[in-house]
Amino acid sequence: MSEAASDTGDFIYTRVFDAPRELVFRCMTEPEHLTHFWGPNGTTTPLDGITVEVRPGGVFETVMVNDADGSSYTMRAVFVEVVEPERLVWTDSTSGVTTTSTFTDLGAAGTEITIRQSNVPEAFRTPQARAGFATSLDRFAVYLGTRP
Amino acid sequence: MTMLEDRLGATFIALADPTRRAIVARLAAGDATVNELAAPFDMTLPGISKHLKVLERCGLITRTRHAQFRPCHLEADVLDSAIDWMQQNRRIWSERFDKLDSRLRELQRPTNDVSQKPARQRKSHE
Repeated sequence: MSEAASDTGDFIYTRVFDAPRELVFRCMTEPEHLTHFWGPNGTTTPLDGITVEVRPGGVFETVMVNDADGSSYTMRAVFVEVVEPERLVWTDSTSGVTTTSTFTDLGAAGTEITIRQSNVPEAFRTPQARAGFATSLDRFAVYLGTRP
Repeated sequence: MTMLEDRLGATFIALADPTRRAIVARLAAGDATVNELAAPFDMTLPGISKHLKVLERCGLITRTRHAQFRPCHLEADVLDSAIDWMQQNRRIWSERFDKLDSRLRELQRPTNDVSQKPARQRKSHE
């Protein structure tokens, strides 16, 4: 996965999938598919906890359950823009972060998804365990190393 | 937006520039004066000062008011929270995309063409 931070401080992630655009778009918008991949490793995203109203103003909600201790995290977002099968924009109700997903048809090469996240400040305030200074520097080095 | 949110957002903008990242990396090794920071770069002092102002505005660095050379100091916790967010966010999207990739392969496998089915059968008896 390639990534970059734009000069406006937005975050950009890009990945190419070997599948037609319509199918990739469906995977990102249909609960039956989202349940298979939405949660990060170590979590499950049960089908009955997913709500996707694919229209501007519609709800986008997922419950991610931690496999280890059963604790759950609910993502609540609202769609701002829906252009099937090209573009999805939603704003996280908790953090205020706006995520724009762009689906680009690459023909035989598949489909490229670009995730652009803007307005990140609020999310960033989520209290994290303050790692030691040395640790943060290591991580900063890793972060620098992953940039193009 | 509150001043704090403004500042945190500005941190990402500040770190998007390679010169400023290099300055941050240098300050991680210890406080330094503007002259010391300018040395490795082919840049004028006003040029470096401009970058320092951006870093100062978002709270990533502070400058001593009293000392004659006003050394720059890196604020570790500001950098820390920025890195926390970036790392966590990158990990989530990376893992999500890995799984989506597997899902798409599964859907397109000729012997198991789930993509043609309207939706997965639910276990209800309505």
